[in-house]
Amino acid sequence: MNSIISAFSKGIEKSGIDRKKISMPSDVPFNPDVVKALGVDYFQIPRGRAIAFGTGLKLGNPSLKVVPVAGDLMTLGGNHFVHGARRNMELLIICVNSFVYKKIAGKPIPSTQSAFSPYSTFEEPFNFPHLGNSCGAIYTARWTALHTEELADSVAEALHKHGLSVIEVLAPGPNYYTDIDSIELELLKFYHENSTIKNNEDPKNVAIVPDEKIIVGKFTDKERPTFIDSYNVQHSKILGDKFTPHGGKNG
Amino acid sequence: MKANPTDVLTGIYYIDGDVAAGYGALAAGCKLVAGYPITPSTEAFEAMCRKGPQVGTVFIQMEDEFGSISAVLGAVWSGVKSMTITSGPGYSLMMESIGFGAMLETPFVLLNIQRGGPSTGVPTKTGQADMMQSRWGSHGDYELIAISPDSPQEMFDYTIKAFNLAEKYRCPVMIMSDECVGHMTEKVVIPEADKIEIEPRRFYKGPPEEYLPFSPDPDLVPKIAKAGDGLGLYITGRVHDERGYPVKNEEFKAKYVRRLVDKIRLNKDKIIELKEESTDDADVVVVSYGISSRVAVKGVEIARQKGIKVGALRLVTVWPFPDEKIIDLAKKVKAFVVPEINYGQIVFDVARCCHGQANVVLIPHGGAGVHNPLDISDAIESAAKEDKKIEGVVEFKTRLEKIVFERGLKLKE
Amino acid sequence: MAEIRFAGYGGQGIIRSGIIVGRAASIYDDKFSTMSQSFGPEARGGACSSQLVVSESKVLYPYLTAAGILVAMSQAGYDKFEPELSEKGLLLYDEDLVKPKASRGNITPFAIPATRFAEQLGKKIVANVVILGFFTAITKVVTYESMKKAIPDSVPEKAIDLNLKAFERGYNFGLEVLKKQKEPQ
Repeated sequence: MNSIISAFSKGIEKSGIDRKKISMPSDVPFNPDVVKALGVDYFQIPRGRAIAFGTGLKLGNPSLKVVPVAGDLMTLGGNHFVHGARRNMELLIICVNSFVYKKIAGKPIPSTQSAFSPYSTFEEPFNFPHLGNSCGAIYTARWTALHTEELADSVAEALHKHGLSVIEVLAPGPNYYTDIDSIELELLKFYHENSTIKNNEDPKNVAIVPDEKIIVGKFTDKERPTFIDSYNVQHSKILGDKFTPHGGKNG
Repeated sequence: MKANPTDVLTGIYYIDGDVAAGYGALAAGCKLVAGYPITPSTEAFEAMCRKGPQVGTVFIQMEDEFGSISAVLGAVWSGVKSMTITSGPGYSLMMESIGFGAMLETPFVLLNIQRGGPSTGVPTKTGQADMMQSRWGSHGDYELIAISPDSPQEMFDYTIKAFNLAEKYRCPVMIMSDECVGHMTEKVVIPEADKIEIEPRRFYKGPPEEYLPFSPDPDLVPKIAKAGDGLGLYITGRVHDERGYPVKNEEFKAKYVRRLVDKIRLNKDKIIELKEESTDDADVVVVSYGISSRVAVKGVEIARQKGIKVGALRLVTVWPFPDEKIIDLAKKVKAFVVPEINYGQIVFDVARCCHGQANVVLIPHGGAGVHNPLDISDAIESAAKEDKKIEGVVEFKTRLEKIVFERGLKLKE
Repeated sequence: MAEIRFAGYGGQGIIRSGIIVGRAASIYDDKFSTMSQSFGPEARGGACSSQLVVSESKVLYPYLTAAGILVAMSQAGYDKFEPELSEKGLLLYDEDLVKPKASRGNITPFAIPATRFAEQLGKKIVANVVILGFFTAITKVVTYESMKKAIPDSVPEKAIDLNLKAFERGYNFGLEVLKKQKEPQ
């Protein structure tokens, strides 16, 4: 069991929220044992559709706490993230960023060495907290997989937020929930050592840049009406008694 | 179970097919509609946006069709009935999640108001060229149900039926309508709620620890659950066992996918609805669906006036296909005539079931309009006169096709 | 069976005209009627039309095969749809907006200053209802009583009185025209 899952579990514990009420649509495959241990409802969704599926879950039953887990937030389904943040849909998005940083000749460079990028990556990554913040997310944070305490606190805090929250977790490789082999562990340590906590930093300053320290922390924490709030206000205003508000703030 | 009175907009209306389908969905108890507007289906979404909030149905205009159908699936797993509405280009985008929905045995309804294709095609005019896509559009083996209404009244009635079938067989149900019916305004009677039969969801009610989300009942359909009930759902688009856990081996794959297709195939008799008329002593049978079947009746009437013995078989449910019915008729009739607004789709399934016993004539139509009833009667007449057996599907040259053909030849000069 | 084409430009209530007559026929006159409208940019300002089939039995073919009646509210609409009007058809038009060509076949033209009447009643927008009154009197496709019931169903509540007045104005004008026609010249 990996650090992210245990941090997430600890976060739920701290939040005091009933695990049964948590649904996790995810495009990252989880092992059934992991799901069982978490005690949540789990849906493995086609790549990129976790946020849209989560939107349906939340609108269908507003009393659910919906936590979409996204592997690649802005590739397939990037639009769902952008619009989910704009309409402030009540979701806590865990983005597992496997945009691996490798150490070559003592310097950190972005690299996803795989069959698709045998010569390493040369494209710039997204700055997710900045993107989410500017689209209207009410909570953004970034941690590495080894910032377990901080990650758990963030999860606990974000689970109580009303609106779209996004926590980016830097972790190598897609199999983060299985045993970490020594190379990955070394990488994790590398992340951890090369990161610096700057809470409340302006999200536009937290891009991941080669040769610079990775900035982690909580960057956005604000309040805005959620989609369901606005939906209810608008229709109550126009339809009056003919309209029964949907769900309510906490469902 | 009867419909909930607050969901049913009882009354006599003069509305188009799109709006009627929207009202049908509300009457069926649809509580979330997620969509992305696209001509010619927009009026259905608009009708639900207007009336939905007054009967507790939530609507959301999603960012795209991927989002719309994903939200629909999410809503179903949260415990409510849900549908999305689209047309050709949007339908193509939804294919990914239609297969996903079939794999998860998710009961949902998709209304496709077909328009002229391919690609952008003719957005404001009709077509019936998505029929094969509705059956085979998503990758892998799966079965689903498709219904084809021919009037605004049927759009109301069959939207309710679509929801009922979806719940009963835990599968996606496509309402394969078209622009002509969608944009056709006619009288629609919406009855009292106690006259509308609603299929309740097959929720699991036993002890939580014993729940197996994919363990089938005797009719091969499993009981469903919803998120938030403490059942510890593990739901995946991977091939899974009865617990929902992924499995890779051949035996499980065969077992699972077999059931996925068999729950529809073996329940065919209960699912298929046909409207059959004067086929008993017919020389020619017109096989059609949707708006084409309505226009075909006119062609049949004209042919009968000429003394031809012609019957009509209307496929209300197009998928699953009524193989047995066609096989049975093929032994008795001389020919099948199939008018459809495409260059041959359902006609090939008719031919497949014919085994060369009867001739099969396609009356094609390129879309952006409906068949000329005179073409249908002419095709019936020539099929009745044809005495030799012809292999394969014969294409009837319609008036329109002749013009296209002549002008086409001129272009070469 | 009656096959009717309403033609004009977007904003004149051409589609609504089709709906009102269709509703009167199928809901209040107990006939069958099918209305199809033109979609796309033309419904938003350009040439605009709706087609209506009224029949004693179920309408099988939803579109017009040969228009028996053309109601023209604009020159462009007239020019576009006059050729589809059958030889024995009826042509109803707003005489201030449409200048018809020399009549062909046995087409009978009926003119009404519908928009002028509507302006006299206070709102140009009800010109279509004026012409519907005229249509009811001349063609008898739908009954006067049914139209009086169908109009309130189809317009905003506060505009019902005005629309009914407009309908009466057109209907009475139609009756006068018919009366004049019968009198020996």
